[in-house]
Amino acid sequence: MNKKGLDEMQVQKKNSIGNQAFVMLLYLLMLDAGLYGFGFRWISYPANVMIILTLTAGIYVIRLITANAFVGPAAKTEKPLMTVVMTMFFAALISAAILVLMNNTSFSSPGQIEEISAPLLFITAGVAMVVAITTLIIKRIQNREDE
Amino acid sequence: MKSARAAKDLSQKDVADIVGVTRQTINAIENGDYNPTINLCIAICRALDRTLNDLFWEDDLNE
Repeated sequence: MNKKGLDEMQVQKKNSIGNQAFVMLLYLLMLDAGLYGFGFRWISYPANVMIILTLTAGIYVIRLITANAFVGPAAKTEKPLMTVVMTMFFAALISAAILVLMNNTSFSSPGQIEEISAPLLFITAGVAMVVAITTLIIKRIQNREDE
Repeated sequence: MKSARAAKDLSQKDVADIVGVTRQTINAIENGDYNPTINLCIAICRALDRTLNDLFWEDDLNE
């Protein structure tokens, strides 16, 4: 059988979680548009859309990991703790570097990208770290339960 | 299926590796939480040297 991708149970779970995440994204965007229509602006565009997308994507990935449908049977080798920590540190470093670069270059239009670049990059890095830590913890718990 | 696996002295991980699925999938099949496709059933049967009837047909003999 195919060992490269997800197995059939994982594909089934992934499809189900994907559908739910897509509907959740739709509801959140509609809710945001509705609130905007009533004159309530919780955060300015495009940060609102980016935050909703990031939130939904984060929930989707975390649910995939908890359902064991994120990686297929071929990629089950456990990474050492140090590698994970180094990856997280490297991700934070890249985020900071991009932030500095964006502030120093002139391609960002004033008052728009600059306003949201910092929170967006930190949110992205934050979500990546949460995902990495969650993966690590869940994998260890599952492995302990299996033994 | 669990007894057939035990008879061959294989762990869930061993069967999963032979068949090409995750250990969790084998566990879910053994516990009745997941209904595998016929392709996966055949692969499991081949791995355990049993027939489909032996593993997946429940009657007085196979329970």
